[in-house]
Amino acid sequence: MEKMLREIRERVMRNIEEAEASGSLEQIRVAALGKKGELTALLRGMGKLPPEERPKMGQMVNEVRAALESRLEERAKALAEREKAARLAAETIDVTLPGPDRSAGSLHPMNIALRKMVEVFVGMGYQVVEGPEVEFDHYNFELLNIPKNHPARDAQDTFYVDDNIVLRTHTSPVQARIMTTRKPPIRVICPGRVYRADEADATHSPVFHQMEGLVIDENITMGDLKGTLDEFARQMFGEGIRTRFRPSFFPFTEPSAEVDLTCANCRGEGCRMCKGTGWIEVLGAGMVNPKVLEMCGIDSTKYSGFAFGMGVERMTLLKYNIPNLRYLYENDLRFLTQYR
Amino acid sequence: MKVPMKWLKEYVDINMSAEEYAGKMVMTGTAVEGVEKTGTQFDKVVVGYVVSCVDHPNSDHLHICMVDVGEGEPIQIVCGAPNVHAGMRVAAALDGAHLPGGKIKKGKMRGEVSMGMLCSGPELDVPAGLYPHIGDAGIIEIFEDVKPGTDVKEVFGLGDDIIDFEILANRPDCLSVWGLARESSAVLEEHFVMPEIAVEETGKGTFDDYAKVEVHDETLCPRYCARVITDVKIGPSPMWMRKYLYGAGIRPINNIVDITNFVMLETGHPMHAFDLSKVKDQTIVVRRAKPGEHLTTLDGKEHVLDETMLVIADRENATGLAGIMGGEESEIVDDTASVLFECAAFERANNRVTARKLGIRTESSGRFEKGVCPATAMEALERACMLVNILECGKVVPGCCDNYPNPKPPVEIEASVRRICRRIGVDVPGEAMEDILNRLYIDTTVAGDALHCEIPAFRQDMESEADVSEEVLRMYGYDHIPSTLMNATTMAGQHDAKSVFNYRVKDALVSMGLYEILNYSFVSPRWLDKLGLAGDDPRRNVVKLRNPLGEDTSVMRTTLVPSMLNTVAANLNRGIPEGRLFELSKVFVPAEKPGELPTEKSALCISACGEYVDFYTMKNIVVWLLAKFGVTAAISADGDGYYHPGRKAVMTVDGEKLATLGEIHPDVAEAFDINRRVYVAEVDLDMLMPLEKDFYGVKPLPKFPAVSRDIAVVVDERIGVGTMVDAIRAAAGKLLEDAKLFDIYRGEKLGSERKSVAFAITLRAADRTLTDEEINAVMEKVLKALNTQFGAELRA
Repeated sequence: MEKMLREIRERVMRNIEEAEASGSLEQIRVAALGKKGELTALLRGMGKLPPEERPKMGQMVNEVRAALESRLEERAKALAEREKAARLAAETIDVTLPGPDRSAGSLHPMNIALRKMVEVFVGMGYQVVEGPEVEFDHYNFELLNIPKNHPARDAQDTFYVDDNIVLRTHTSPVQARIMTTRKPPIRVICPGRVYRADEADATHSPVFHQMEGLVIDENITMGDLKGTLDEFARQMFGEGIRTRFRPSFFPFTEPSAEVDLTCANCRGEGCRMCKGTGWIEVLGAGMVNPKVLEMCGIDSTKYSGFAFGMGVERMTLLKYNIPNLRYLYENDLRFLTQYR
Repeated sequence: MKVPMKWLKEYVDINMSAEEYAGKMVMTGTAVEGVEKTGTQFDKVVVGYVVSCVDHPNSDHLHICMVDVGEGEPIQIVCGAPNVHAGMRVAAALDGAHLPGGKIKKGKMRGEVSMGMLCSGPELDVPAGLYPHIGDAGIIEIFEDVKPGTDVKEVFGLGDDIIDFEILANRPDCLSVWGLARESSAVLEEHFVMPEIAVEETGKGTFDDYAKVEVHDETLCPRYCARVITDVKIGPSPMWMRKYLYGAGIRPINNIVDITNFVMLETGHPMHAFDLSKVKDQTIVVRRAKPGEHLTTLDGKEHVLDETMLVIADRENATGLAGIMGGEESEIVDDTASVLFECAAFERANNRVTARKLGIRTESSGRFEKGVCPATAMEALERACMLVNILECGKVVPGCCDNYPNPKPPVEIEASVRRICRRIGVDVPGEAMEDILNRLYIDTTVAGDALHCEIPAFRQDMESEADVSEEVLRMYGYDHIPSTLMNATTMAGQHDAKSVFNYRVKDALVSMGLYEILNYSFVSPRWLDKLGLAGDDPRRNVVKLRNPLGEDTSVMRTTLVPSMLNTVAANLNRGIPEGRLFELSKVFVPAEKPGELPTEKSALCISACGEYVDFYTMKNIVVWLLAKFGVTAAISADGDGYYHPGRKAVMTVDGEKLATLGEIHPDVAEAFDINRRVYVAEVDLDMLMPLEKDFYGVKPLPKFPAVSRDIAVVVDERIGVGTMVDAIRAAAGKLLEDAKLFDIYRGEKLGSERKSVAFAITLRAADRTLTDEEINAVMEKVLKALNTQFGAELRA
């Protein structure tokens, strides 16, 4: 019997070593250790042994059983690991394959730039207001000190709907609307579409966008205007970008200024983009003309203010180094998909 | 305005390069468009004197000339021009000269040495008009008595810097050489020296013996000055005058006309010269035109006038448009013998309106509409007469006409040093302000805080303290403006609700992979035809532009669809087969009452085309967009005719149309040059914005298990699955958690025009586990509803 036991142990151990799948291990376990298994049968057959041999034999059988079980378990673990590894290996995919077609989507670059511009001023305490694109001559021109048949109207080729209604040529009429309806202090920006009768080319578009700013309060100075625009320039284009003011003329501001920014391309060194000057003209600004304040019903002896108007397309071109204004209105997906 | 630098230098010292000078002008408010150097096209061309000229022995057209070029012995030059002759002054290009056509080298021509070349106008690229006969065949003949060897650039007035000033609307006084010289003198702190004006009157009699002037409208013509010149000898004006005119961009004509142009450029006053013998009754009447009056202007065009227009007339007929263009009859011609010079001021707005109405724009009208100062008109006229003396081209008759009934009193401004400093944010001492303003010819005295300024007549733009503050600041230097932070009321920055809403719409669409586009707000009315809109479609009622750039941009959009389809077509044309786009913009609905502003509505248009795109792609985009705002809309098969009749849908909320979507009808796609299926959606954002439900909080998470039951029913093919889902929802009541379509099957066994639709229905109660009875009861209700509403039968 002992010999039989040894024989079973060796054979089953060998079978375990030779088993190549978890399934066959289970068969081996059932055949040896199951209810009808060899070892179980051997244990049952122990009744035939003399009683004094039984404990010794029982112990031996149990030892063999434990050894087989532990070996089975080890082997099962090893096989499972192997099978998992094989499965994972089989599941390897080509990670360099492109995913299913799905575009990233993006805002139009003009609106990306405009949002940034708006954020800068909202952060400085400005309220965003909007006004109509088809506007009364009264707000677009007259309240801004540009009477009918004034040569200053030449600077803005105007689309007319009728004698008194125009497509607004700038966002400044929103200023006039605010000044006639609100009491100071006023601190607003007015972004929006504007129209001029210019044929489209690399630097002109009959439809474009502006963002107007207006501050009316006590003791507002031209230095505050410069401080505000300096801060805008820094946030929009980065540290080291400054403004330069040049005298100019707008009927609704006095004094007026054309404002240049340090050329972001060469940081003021002079390059082709800024024609060697180190500066890029970006916006018009000035102290609100007291005549305009009075026309809008604001006491010009108590309040002063500044206003500025910037071209959003111009900012976009500068910010993203776009060579031609036409790119913005051609809606070429090869262009738009670059802004994700 | 283009001004030759040398002309400016006649009146003010400018001791620096043109570029440096331009920079200083720009930084004090006189914009400069550019600086152009003239005469850079050639060098080493000098005045030569042809000592002798004989025929070339080996040629039938060449000549051998000995030319004195100021280098001692004359040099030999072979010349083929037919007009070359001894005793002539010529432009001689020397050995090594660079001409527009190449380099000149000494050499032999048919055996004869030639040390250079005698030049024609085209060979030097000198424009005709700069110098008499320069455009004629043959070589240039120089008529001035110039020393041989002189650089011809000096003779032609080349080699100068032409400064192109951009004069802004507030400074018409700077539309003149004197004005710019005066401004420059203030900027450069140099003296401005105006020529002393003195007229020698050598004509017989007095003005009244020759002419009579009647001004009938003194509002439109506040000043009219005139002088008479007799014994006129018409001829070319001298080189010094022609080169300045030419540099300023005006073609020299003859001495009298050149004088009027020269004075206009120098003083800013447009002038007119009449051939006095052609003025009927020698009478000039300044009056409004009669309604329907006809006039032929100098350019040969005939105009019909109205009573708002100011004309220059004789006793009967209009002969010229005041300040805009003269008439043909009294034009200066070669045999003109007596001249009347007019120098007047006309009201600017009226002048502008007339010029626009008649579609004429001249140098003169451009100046009058910007504002010509009446006070200095006489001075300009005297300058013209003085030039007649200098050019010796006529005799100035003593006396003049000066109709100036209401001289404008001088403007005085009282300003405060403190207030100016506060406005500009720069502390400029009162004395410095006084100095700056005086430099600008604004007679100023300071006493403590008080500035007293007397504004010269030519500064018609100066009206208030704010204007004074700008003068002070621009001359003191804008670079002194400090960068300060407002010492003002603290205010909360805020976006407006509408732009926040728009941001969210756009962000939702971008997150779904769409690209935003921008199109013009004005379109062609023909694009509405391409959409096939009915004649009475409300979108045909458009806001029209009175002066569009062209038909394609002549009406304001009432729908974004045509622009979107054009964009899709353009991208397909570029070879980009896939694209998902959106545009959020305004559409314009005309006001019902004339004279009111149109309604501007916020619209959204989405398009998608490409291999993976179908109707449901577009439907998902719209449904998810609405879901972002907590809005669910009912959908039904409906929509505009420009959509595919079987693939279009309208989404409504409470019966109101919120969105339309579908595949574009193939005929419409073709009309827009689109050769594939394209899907479009339109969403009314003005309607969507107020529909958004406020988000108050979440539902508690479930504590009891859900039960899921599947049912499959057979229905007619035409039954909409979405409507079935709605019916299930309504029938199942509150226990329903979700009802989802999971399969649609069509097969022979079902019969034709039949489909089997399978739904997974999930039920759950918040407070208990559902019993079988409860579940069965709900499912029975569902089946019954499907059966009664759609004839649905449980699939066997």
